[in-house]
Formats: sequence, structure tokens, C-alpha cells
Amino acid sequence: MKGFAEAFWAESLKARKSKILWITFLVFSFIAIMMGLLVFVANNPELVGDSVVLSAKASMIGNADWPGYFELLYQIIAMIGLIGFGFVISWVFGREYVDHTLKDLLALPIPRSVIVLSKFIVITIWAVLLSLTLFILAVVTGLAVNIPGWSVETALHAFYIFTGTALLTLVLCTPIAFLASYGRGYLLPMGFIILIIIITQFIVVGIPGIAPYIPWAIPALFCGAAGPAGPFIGTASYIILFITSIAGLMITLAWWRFADAR
Amino acid sequence: MNDIIITENLTKYYGKVHAVDSISINVRKGEIYGFLGLNGAGKTTTIRMLLGIIRPTSGRSYLNGKKVHAGNHSLWDKVGYLVEIPYSYPDLTVYENLEIVRRLRLIVNSSPVESVMEKLKLSPYRDRKAKDLSHGNAQRLGIAKAIIHNPDILILDEPANGLDPAGIVEIREMLREMALQEGVTIFISSHILGEISRFATRIGIIHEGKLVQESDIDHLESSLYRRLQVKTDDTDGARSLLLKKGYTAAIEEDFMEVSGKDAISNPENIASLLVHEGYPPTMLKVEEEDLESYFLRVIEKNGGAK
Repeated sequence: MKGFAEAFWAESLKARKSKILWITFLVFSFIAIMMGLLVFVANNPELVGDSVVLSAKASMIGNADWPGYFELLYQIIAMIGLIGFGFVISWVFGREYVDHTLKDLLALPIPRSVIVLSKFIVITIWAVLLSLTLFILAVVTGLAVNIPGWSVETALHAFYIFTGTALLTLVLCTPIAFLASYGRGYLLPMGFIILIIIITQFIVVGIPGIAPYIPWAIPALFCGAAGPAGPFIGTASYIILFITSIAGLMITLAWWRFADAR
Repeated sequence: MNDIIITENLTKYYGKVHAVDSISINVRKGEIYGFLGLNGAGKTTTIRMLLGIIRPTSGRSYLNGKKVHAGNHSLWDKVGYLVEIPYSYPDLTVYENLEIVRRLRLIVNSSPVESVMEKLKLSPYRDRKAKDLSHGNAQRLGIAKAIIHNPDILILDEPANGLDPAGIVEIREMLREMALQEGVTIFISSHILGEISRFATRIGIIHEGKLVQESDIDHLESSLYRRLQVKTDDTDGARSLLLKKGYTAAIEEDFMEVSGKDAISNPENIASLLVHEGYPPTMLKVEEEDLESYFLRVIEKNGGAK
């Protein structure tokens, strides 16, 4: 692919030099550490004394052991993943409009599609590293606060479910790239993410029968966030998810190729 | 083929607004084409169409004989451009911004980054973030990005914006040298005729989306209005005399303005006549219209400035 290495280099430099990169890692690290501390509080309620708020938060965790802790982690990646990855993708695409640098990318000896694809590759690497940070720090914090019930098998199974949930969440972010390009900035994609979170919550809780056919509800169902009696996801769900992801990618490529950049 | 930049009836409508209306331009190799118009006249829209950044509603354009469209990326190998205010990545340094352009322009050798910084006097700001640059240096960075790959065609939208007078002269000389010595074809937009006429070889004036005048710079010089201004102690008497002799004369404040080719090319005849008839002139001078009034006159003839 002509110019891919150069475009990838440029995109990764822009990401590496941005404050946003470090802010996202700080937020994901903070969440991981807070999760571990919350489970620690659930196991040691006397530590918070009369604090109603902290007790209530800690009691949200079902079983304060490693399987329960990992279940909380799945839910976190399904929700925070969408917000975090969505934020990253909104920034990577939206910043070209907000910083008015888009025009410098449109008349180059490199096809525009290569620029778009290199942005997606950088986003993927960024999201994978964020997910790994969340998982590793959550495990380290869990071990540090001595959560009961640890086994390597439980951790490996959890890593499989966690990775699957993170990847399914990530691939569903492609339409957000289009919205950042169409909306020329961050507002439209971030508004969309909030809307999606609200809608999927209503659907998973209110009308769980259709949840397997709503793309953004599928990662939550995959990791079992809807509970053991939650709807089953089959091939049709994965096809819907795949089509949504490809459609997001294609429409973003088409927008960069055909739309007027005013 | 000698025409390097060609537009054929290039047109862009935004709803009912005719941003650019049927513009046809040919720019020859090594020519500096000054594209002049007021703000909102359609200069930037034309330039964006020339660069394939926006699609024309109708018409087409060619650079180096190749049709411009967004998918024709090989076209941009030898084209440098600057559109409107040159923005750069704010958190990246001058060097990093140029390094990105070098790589995206597929330049293998890294030396052009240092040499273009040297050329645009940006070396002292090499490690300064783009967001901390002055307006003038941000403009220089924009120009550096446009010329880093030694383009054959340079398309510049108001490149003098934000530069101080010394910077304007410096950039003008650099562009003139590129055109004269390296044969670079330059298409440059501006809203200041006085500035552009100092180095352009041809001028096109755009108004309300239409190309209202196109001329070589020499022809432009000869198109400027010249007026003979005469002051005497008895302006009314002198005017009656000149009218009687077939001249056109109008009173303006405390002097007369005498027009007609003969009056302007031979003001000494007017002087002799007035002295001979007892109206000796206390002032007699040929006043040439400045370029800005010429520009506004051309525009007014075509509907006026709005």
C-alpha cells in the first residue's frame, strides 16, 4: 500500500505527542486501581465506617472474589471501552477538523484511504494498549489487596472474555470515525456515544429480546454483563456486528474520498 | 504542452449561491498568475477545486495535463499548496510538522527539512511547538510545507497574510526566483492588487464568482486612468477656455481635472494655451490612478463591492 509506512509514522507521532494519549492511560489506570480498592472495601466493610456512599458502591459488587471481580471488569470494559475508544477515535479523526489540518492531508501523493486506514491502525494499537493497561493493573491491584479465590485458570479465562469484549467494543467504533468527520469535530461523535450507552442500557434491561440484534449491546451480552439468564448471542449477532463495523469503515473512507472539505 | 494550470468553466454552487461561476483560466509554465478578488469573491473556492479538495458542480481543471480529482493522488507529487490560514499540528514542533510533510510527500532524503527551515528563516524555531509560533512564523511554516518538495506548481492562497513588510518582500523575491530560475508555475491569490502586481506576470480579477478581467501586467499598467490636474487663479475662466478649445474639463474642489488623451500625453500644450490666454497655471500635474482604485473600478463596473 503506497505510503502506508509514512502515514502510519505520521499518525503515531501525532498520537505520541498529544496530551490525550497520557490522559486516556491515566483514566484507565485510575479505573483499574479504584476497582481493586472497591473490592477491598467490600471485603473489609469496617474500613469505611459509616460512609453510606462507599458501602453502597462496594455492595454493588456481587461476590467480592476473583470471579466476581473479573465480571465487574468485563462490565467496565464494555462500558468504559466504548467511551474510551470512542473518545480516542473522535479525537484522532475530529482533531484534523478542529485544528484545521485536514486540508494538508487531501492533496498528497498518498491515497486518502491510506491516511484513513493508518488512523484506524493507530487507534487499534492505542485501544489494545489501554485494554491491557486496564486488565494488568486491575489484576495487580487485586493481588495487592488480596482478593480471595485466585487461580491462573480463572485469570486466563477472564483474559479471554475481557479481550473478546474489548475487541468487539473496538470494532464497533468505526461509525464514530465517520461521525467525527461528518460533524467536523468532537461533539457529534461524543453525543452519539452517550446516546448509544443510554439506548443499549434501556434495551438490555427493558427489551432484552432484541438486544442480540443491537450491535452496541452485543459486547455486553458476550461478556455476560446481562447476567446468566441474559439473551443468547448467535451467528446473527456477530454478522450484525461485523456489518456495522465494515459499514462504519466504508462510509468513513467514502466521506474522506468524496465529501467536500470546506 | 505549455499550459500548466487549466480550468474549464469551473463552477461551484452552494445551494443558490454561485460561489464560483464558469471560471476558465490558463497559466503557462513559469508564469506567476495573480488571482485577485475581494474577500468572499470565490478565490479560495477556486483554489480548493484546483486542489481536488472540493468537487466542482460543473467544469473541470487540469494540472500538468492531468485532470484534477480526489482519486488522482499521483497528481500531487509536484504540486505545493497553501490554502487560507496555514494551520499546523499545535503540539508538534516546527521540525516535526515539516518531517510529517516530508514523509507524506514520500521524500526519502531527510535534508529538505533542514534546508527549507533555513530558506524560510525557521531554523531558530526548529524545536518550538507550532502553537507557540507568532502569526508570521506560522505563515512561514505554511509556506515551508508548500515548497519542501521543490514543486513544479505552487498554488498559494493569500501567502502574505500575517507577514511583516520585510517578510512580504522576502517571500515575493523567493517566489519570483522560483518562477524565473526554476520555471515553477505559481498561482497566487490576494485581495491586494498593489502587492500582487509587483511580481505577477498576469492578473485575473474575480468578483462574485466570475472572472471579470484578465490581463498581462504590462497591459494592466496601460489600463490605469491618468488625469491632468490644473490649478489657476481663475478656475472658471480657464475651464471655459478649455471647453471652447474642445477639451473636457471638470472642476474638483480648487483645481480642474482635464481629460482626453491629447491633454494627458501633451500637458505642455495646455500650459502654453493657458499662459497665452492669460490664465497661467499655478499647478499642472499628471495624476496616475493607483492600483487599488483600478481594482475597485473594475469591480464596480461589474456590480460593485458588496
